Amino acid sequence: MQGLTKYFGGVAALKGVSFEVPEKQICGFIGPNGAGKTTLFSVIAGAVRPSAGKVRLRGKDVTGSHPAALVKMGLARTHQIVRPFRAMTVLENVRLGVHFGCAGIAATHAAQEQAMEVLRQVGLEQKAHLLAAGLSLGEQKRLEVARALATGADLLLLDEVCGGLNSTETRAILDLVQSIRARGSTIMYVEHDMKAVMSICDRVTVLDFGQKLAEGKPEEIQKNDAVIKAYLGKPTLGSAPSVQ
Amino acid sequence: MAGGVKTTGLLRRSGISAGLPLLLLVLLFFLPSIGLSANLMRLFFATFVWIIASVAWNIVGGFAGQVSFGFAVFYGLGAYAAALLINAGRNPGVAFLGAAGAAILASFLVGIPTFRLRGPYFAIATIGVTEAVRVIMSNLSFTGGASGYRINEYGPFSQSEHYRSALLMMALAVAISALISKSRFGLALRAIKQDEDAAAHLGVNPYSFKLWAHAIAAALAGIAGALYARYHLYIDPSGGPGGVFAFSTGISILLMPVIGGIGTVWGPVLGGAVFGIVEEELVVHFPEIHLLLYGLLLILIILLEPDGLMGILHKLFKLFRRRRDDSGGAGADKVLWGRGRLEGRQL
Repeated sequence: MQGLTKYFGGVAALKGVSFEVPEKQICGFIGPNGAGKTTLFSVIAGAVRPSAGKVRLRGKDVTGSHPAALVKMGLARTHQIVRPFRAMTVLENVRLGVHFGCAGIAATHAAQEQAMEVLRQVGLEQKAHLLAAGLSLGEQKRLEVARALATGADLLLLDEVCGGLNSTETRAILDLVQSIRARGSTIMYVEHDMKAVMSICDRVTVLDFGQKLAEGKPEEIQKNDAVIKAYLGKPTLGSAPSVQ
Repeated sequence: MAGGVKTTGLLRRSGISAGLPLLLLVLLFFLPSIGLSANLMRLFFATFVWIIASVAWNIVGGFAGQVSFGFAVFYGLGAYAAALLINAGRNPGVAFLGAAGAAILASFLVGIPTFRLRGPYFAIATIGVTEAVRVIMSNLSFTGGASGYRINEYGPFSQSEHYRSALLMMALAVAISALISKSRFGLALRAIKQDEDAAAHLGVNPYSFKLWAHAIAAALAGIAGALYARYHLYIDPSGGPGGVFAFSTGISILLMPVIGGIGTVWGPVLGGAVFGIVEEELVVHFPEIHLLLYGLLLILIILLEPDGLMGILHKLFKLFRRRRDDSGGAGADKVLWGRGRLEGRQL
C-alpha cells in the first residue's frame, strides 16, 4: 500500500477530504453522526462514485472502479449494518469471499478449508454449518469481518464492527483487528467507541460535516481543541473522554 | 458435506443420490422399445420439452433470483432458428446448436440493458421484450409472418427418435442445473439473489454473473423450442396457445419452477412433469379457461407452500423421519429445511 489520497468537491456528504493510509497501520476515522465516515468508505470501496476527487491504491487510480474489481485488487469492506446472506450457512458466506476474492481459489474443497481457517480466527468455527440468519448480532458482525478477511484483501475497511456489542465481544474484535494488522494488512477503521479507537489505532482522522477536522496520533487527537469542541466534549473532572 | 446442495439433501438422506435419476433415465430411454402408445409418447415428449424450459428458467430465475417473464423469446427464437436450419437441409444436431446459439445471442441483447434494472423493474422489462419480439416476428416476411412457418425435414418421421432426443436434452439440462448448483458459480448466483451489493463487495460482479446465467438458461430454452418446432413441423408467433412467442408460453415457463420449488435442482423437474401432464389434459378439456386455472394454481401455491412440491416433499419426509426416529436428531435438519424456504420467500 503506497498511499491513498482522496479529494472531493461539491459533495454534501464529503467536501474535499484528503488523506493517506500508510501500509500496515490501523487508521481510525471518527466523527459525529453524519460526518461522512460511511460515505467515505462507500466511495473508497466503489459502492458510490465520487463527484470529484481521486482514490489511489498503491499509486494506481482506482476511482469509480466496480466493488468486485476492487476486491480483486485487495480492498475489502464490512458493512455497518450487517448484510449476511441469511439463507446460506456461515461457511458458505465465507467461502464466497475465498472463491471470488484476490486469491480466487476455485476448488471447493480447498476453499472450504480456507474458509474454515478464517472462521477459526474470528471464533465462529462452531457455527460454520448454521444458517447466517441464526447468528446473534455480535456473531453477524464477526461474520462480516470473516467474509472480508476471506477475500485475502490487504486493505480492510471496517465500518463499526463493534457497534452494538458488549465489552467482551468488543475486546475480542479489537484483538482480532490487531492480529490482522500483525500479519501485514492495512486497516481503515470507523468506530464510535473512543476507547476502542484510541487503543488500537496508529493514526486517527476526525471528520465533521464532510470535512477533515484533524489528523494525527491518538494522543494528539484527544488533546486537539477543535476535536474536543466538535465531537469529544470537555472532559469533566479529569475523567477520560468517552463518547458514544 | 457442508457446502452441499439443499435439493440433493433429501435424495441423499433417503439413500438415493445420482442413482435414481440415472435409473429413471435408462428406463425412460428404453420405454419406447418395450412398448409405449403413440399418444403417451407424445405426452411424454411434450413433458420433456416443458421440463427443459422449466429447468432453464430456474437457473436465472431460481438460482439467481432474476424473475423473467420473457422466456418465450428464447423458446421462440430457438424454434425458428431450428426451423430455418432444418429447412436449409441441416441435420437436427446442427439445428439444436443453432437454436442454442440464437438464444444465447438474444439473451445478451435482452440481458445487457435489462440487467441494469433490479427486481420488479427487470421483470416488467422482460414483459416488454416478449411483446416486442412477438410483434416483430409476426411481421417478418421470410418466416411467414403471422401466418406461421412450415418445416420440411427429409427422411421418415420417427416418434421415438423425437422422444429420445427430448429425453437426452432434458438429462443434459438437469445435469447442467445440478452442476451449477454445486459449483462456486451457483454459490455466487445464490448470493446475488440475496444481496447483490454484498456479493459485489466479496468480489462477485453481479452484472456479468447474471448475464452468464441468463445465457445458459436461454440456450436450454432455445433447445426446448427447437425440439418443439421439429416435432410439430409448424410454428407461428401468435399470442394464443401454441404460438411459440406467446406471452402465455413465458408464463408457463415461469409457473413450472414455482409449482415444483424455485431455486432447487429437482423442483423445476417435478414442476415441469406435473405441468406438462396437466397442461396437455387441461387444454383438451378446458380450452377456454386453462390459463385461469393456472393462475389459480399459482396463487394457491404461493399462499400455501412457497417452496412448491419440493417443500411439501420435504415436510412429508421430515414427518416420516420424525415418526421413525421419535424426534431424535431433527435439530440439524431443521436448519437445512429452513434454507429452501428462506430463499423461496424472496421471489
